[in-house]
Amino acid sequence: MTAITIEKVVRVFIAGITFIIIGLLVSIFSIMFIKGFPAFHDDFLFAESKDFGRAGGVFYQSAGTLILMTTAVLLSLPVALGSVLFQTEYLASGKFKTLLTQLTYLLNATPTILFGLVGYLFFGVYLDTGVSWVTGSMILAVMILPTLQVSLREAVEALPQKYREAGMALGLSRSSQIRRVILPQCFYGIVTGVLLGLARAAGETAAIMFTATTFSGIQFPQSFSDPVPTLQTHILILAQEAAHPESIAQAWGSGLVLLGLVFILTLMAWLIRTRVVMESEL
Amino acid sequence: MIQFKNFTAAFGEREVLKSMTCNLTGNSITAIIGVSGSGKTTLLRVLCRMNDRIENFHIKGNILIGGKDIFRPDNNVYSLRRKVGMIFQKPCVFPISIFDNVVFGVREVTKIPKKDYPDLAEKVLREVFLWEEVKDRLNEKATTLSQGQQQRLTLARTLAVGPDVLLMDEPTSSLDPESTAAIEKLVISLKNRHTILWVTHQHDQAHSIADRVLVLKEGQVVDLPAPIERQENPSSLEDVLYNS
Repeated sequence: MTAITIEKVVRVFIAGITFIIIGLLVSIFSIMFIKGFPAFHDDFLFAESKDFGRAGGVFYQSAGTLILMTTAVLLSLPVALGSVLFQTEYLASGKFKTLLTQLTYLLNATPTILFGLVGYLFFGVYLDTGVSWVTGSMILAVMILPTLQVSLREAVEALPQKYREAGMALGLSRSSQIRRVILPQCFYGIVTGVLLGLARAAGETAAIMFTATTFSGIQFPQSFSDPVPTLQTHILILAQEAAHPESIAQAWGSGLVLLGLVFILTLMAWLIRTRVVMESEL
Repeated sequence: MIQFKNFTAAFGEREVLKSMTCNLTGNSITAIIGVSGSGKTTLLRVLCRMNDRIENFHIKGNILIGGKDIFRPDNNVYSLRRKVGMIFQKPCVFPISIFDNVVFGVREVTKIPKKDYPDLAEKVLREVFLWEEVKDRLNEKATTLSQGQQQRLTLARTLAVGPDVLLMDEPTSSLDPESTAAIEKLVISLKNRHTILWVTHQHDQAHSIADRVLVLKEGQVVDLPAPIERQENPSSLEDVLYNS
């Protein structure tokens, strides 16, 4: 077989794999849209769910999901950013940096149910926060920490060295350097990381299912010890009611809302990241 | 006055500057030439301790600026960098306004009152012959300036924090002849108040602007023969540059 033939075969093989991946994505989106769209009516997004989820909308479930996601990111962001700045700006040892990076990846690969279990035992039982949105937010915060840390580190490390050196050459201390050079220049990268963290938090189900959420009985949490309804729990409970076609339709509709939420966050992150790349090439 | 005393700088096992001993006179321009990889940039960077954070970088010996050892543990590295400013090969302006670029360092490292910033900005922009070109567009982004203007702006930003020593690492290598001439004229005008070290690959430029030209070879510096001596003995330049 000549080199040109091998190259053609490899090209066809790679193109085939690419089309399979795109096909999978398109199939998921299509199925979600076809199955979920009929559930959308005038105020599906803004109405309260009725009749144990078989009718009405998903307003409080969407709000609960947003509350958990946002609180988790607010709790996780300072820790992730602090560890990134320590790793990139203060830590001199390359070996220790590599070790921290590998540990972060390891944390990222940990099954999410373990986060839920350990998180519930620590926050829910030991700190006595019970089954509540606070417990769920804290578990989610720990869970998205590695995703957030990796995204933020990539953003900070992508900052051209010339900016750091320009700041150093002017006599800026490390804290001034972080405040005046690193954070402003990495702003869009940090926003991208936060959006990816939010998307990851929106996609997590297992860990919050039994630690933070409820299917019915609560609209907005009235105290720190209340659980919240979320889209994930809503979908799971409704999907189990196979005997009721209305429930299944509502579950598809809720799934489409959740997918849309993750899609919008990812799209925004991608758009902002594109801008960061364009700016760094100036 | 800058004094290198038996100074060695190394990356791991590779010594870039080897037991270098040399005195550089204050308020003068010293040009440093040498082949690529000879350690010219390292020589500049050690003077403002820019290599401190490189993991396998280490030094031996001393460098004294104004009689003070810059590597003494009690020496404040941030104060040192304010006194020893560095201009890089490619101008690096921040994507903020021209005015904010000029006072970028001032805001953090000096105690000059904010109301005096406009006067300071005008003073240093005049010093670098940029005031007339930018006085009506101080609020525009600095990235809209030409490369030559950006390089003069980085020099103005450095001058604003009040350095005694200016380290210039091939500052004209990315500029057109007109901008190069402007920077050369500017640097000559600054030598009465600053000690200037200028790294260049262009021998003619080195001789036209510098009071002294040093060649960096095998980790050591040697004085380049004066132009008149080179005319009398043309092989002397090659001897210094390339022969061991």
